Amino acid sequence: MNSSLRRTRRFFLSTLPVVAAIASGGFVPSSAAQTALDDIIKSKEVKIAIPTDFPPYGFVGTDLKPQGLDIDMANYIGAKLGAKVELVPVTSANRIAYLQTKKADLVISTLGKNPDREKVIDFTAAYSPFFQAVFGPKNVVVKAASDLAGKSIAVTRGAIEDAELSKIAPTGADIKRFEDNNATVSAFVSGQTVLLATGASVAGNMMARNPNLSAEYKLLLKDSPNFIGVAKGEDKLRLKVNEIIAAAKAAGDIDKMAQKWLGRPAGELPN
Amino acid sequence: MVEFTLIDILRNLGVGARWTVALSLVAFIGGGAVGMLLLTARIGGGRMVRGLVSAYVNAFQGTPLLMQLFLTFFGLALFGFKVSAWFAAALCLTLYASAYLVEIWRGCVEAVPKGQWEAARSLGLSFTQQLRLIILPQAVRIAIAPTVGFLVQVIKGTALASVIGFIELTKTGSMIANATFKPFVVYGCVALFYFALCAPLSWWSKRLERKLSAAPV
Repeated sequence: MNSSLRRTRRFFLSTLPVVAAIASGGFVPSSAAQTALDDIIKSKEVKIAIPTDFPPYGFVGTDLKPQGLDIDMANYIGAKLGAKVELVPVTSANRIAYLQTKKADLVISTLGKNPDREKVIDFTAAYSPFFQAVFGPKNVVVKAASDLAGKSIAVTRGAIEDAELSKIAPTGADIKRFEDNNATVSAFVSGQTVLLATGASVAGNMMARNPNLSAEYKLLLKDSPNFIGVAKGEDKLRLKVNEIIAAAKAAGDIDKMAQKWLGRPAGELPN
Repeated sequence: MVEFTLIDILRNLGVGARWTVALSLVAFIGGGAVGMLLLTARIGGGRMVRGLVSAYVNAFQGTPLLMQLFLTFFGLALFGFKVSAWFAAALCLTLYASAYLVEIWRGCVEAVPKGQWEAARSLGLSFTQQLRLIILPQAVRIAIAPTVGFLVQVIKGTALASVIGFIELTKTGSMIANATFKPFVVYGCVALFYFALCAPLSWWSKRLERKLSAAPV
């Protein structure tokens, strides 16, 4: 794909939420809202958007079937709703578009909560822990945000870490944005950038796979647990999913899932 | 962490390549058919029809395929139209390919000397007969190289359909690269798959060109 296409793609992916906000405010009748839960119960089917490029939350096995914490969570929610789960593979760039256009009922895709996103979609309680940080080779010193000046940092466009990094990065930090986590990690592994800003899990896998890079944790960007995304105004569905999450926390199922995929319990998660 | 052997990688890319082939075929067949209709309208129609075809070409050549896919799949859904990914991809690829093919072919038809039209008309042939019997056989020969060149672009362009959920060759590759953290091996294989799809098409077009240019006009 040539660079102008990529640029255009970014442009349209980034403007869609705006377009969607205008359209849902202006054209879509409000009576269409609030029916998601009833539809799921009636059709006994729930479409859940999941990641396929973000181990261990969502990645593919040798049979190309998605697996991971988010997929387990999707199946768990589906079972509690009494509905068959249709997994919809999405990327971090188009997952909100899927939700807004009702091509997915829920987004369980390492979705962090931020004010911009809250304008266009609603969030349930958190279901899994997550944090973003800057990683880099041992011989590069990064103790504070100001140390980022003059260094190139790979980050996935539009991800939470992109927003956080942009906030704290001094002028002179060379932030290189990529389309998905894979491109971001590839850029760092191949030496295109000195540092890597990404989620802890992605970095953990990257470091395990590339011991020769001697990469390590440098700087915390944000502690940001994952939430489930629901289309704006679908309060019935949101409250139902919140009930399921609260029950799962009480039963220890949330901790079990975190233990299975992240190697540690979920800990305290915000509601 | 899952371990992919090279066989696993190739097998899964093969599955993804089936979508790439399917999407390409839709673009070839749909685009070719619509392109042919538009071509007839473009060269046989009046001023009004010519203007409409030209506007169509400008609209689809002047906007990126990715945007067309995105607006068809997500944009129409905002207004309550249920559009499946297949429908969106088939529609957009057909419109996109036809807009390019009609222009490529128009150029080829115009490259046939005007005297051929006049001679055909003087024999009392109707417009469709002139086109079918005299002009197109000559234009086809000129059209092969640019047409195949464009089709090869279309094959690679189908990777854009991953934005609306197609797990085709490129998307499959990126998913495996993420699970394995071996992007160079995986993308190397992806490149070989594309080459295996595109190169035979180019070779075939060269052979066809030679064969047709040897035939008497």
